[in-house]
Amino acid sequence: MSNSEKWAWWTLGVVVMTIAAYAAFLAFRRHGPAIISVFALLALTALPTSSRRHFQGRTFDEREREIANKALRAGFSAFWLAFIGLILAIGFIKGWDTALTVPVWTLGEVVWWAAILVLGVQAMTTIVLYRGGSHA
Amino acid sequence: MPSQEPEIKNHIRQLRFEHGEMTQDQLAKQAGVTRHTIMALEAGKYFPSLLLAFRIARVFRAPVEQVFEYHATELNL
Repeated sequence: MSNSEKWAWWTLGVVVMTIAAYAAFLAFRRHGPAIISVFALLALTALPTSSRRHFQGRTFDEREREIANKALRAGFSAFWLAFIGLILAIGFIKGWDTALTVPVWTLGEVVWWAAILVLGVQAMTTIVLYRGGSHA
Repeated sequence: MPSQEPEIKNHIRQLRFEHGEMTQDQLAKQAGVTRHTIMALEAGKYFPSLLLAFRIARVFRAPVEQVFEYHATELNL
């Protein structure tokens, strides 16, 4: 398994664990600002799954780079779709002239969910491309 | 119906064995890529860039068309 695949599985694991922790938190406590603390788990994605390559100074080869680029594009495409979908849904449900009053922690939560979406889709795309092949 | 066969075939596995049973790892190091990329190439899961194709051909001291073969289909000349 390549280092990129290890990164993808690790990231996917952290994302699933964060979502599970969020669900557990919701089950035991009310939805409120404290729930944002759950997203601190996402910091685990910054841990390198293998530091050997990093210390050897090796870079990605062309296939790994291509897969990484495709995965990143897929992640941000998903983000854009979700963003546009959310804006349209709010507009149609609440009305386009409605002023929304939301607490600041809700905005923070939305940003964290966006990060989860991008990381999750990026990791899944990486795994799929390594398994199924990546034709240039 | 378009052909399901890959349009670019390669003879990397055969050439490795003809070159003293060179391992995928040895070829990868000489071509400057990872072993996983060599595995993907041999399995037909990845088409290399022109640069990598030339690098691999150079490792085998062979012309690139001896390593890679292009099959034109009806749809794609």
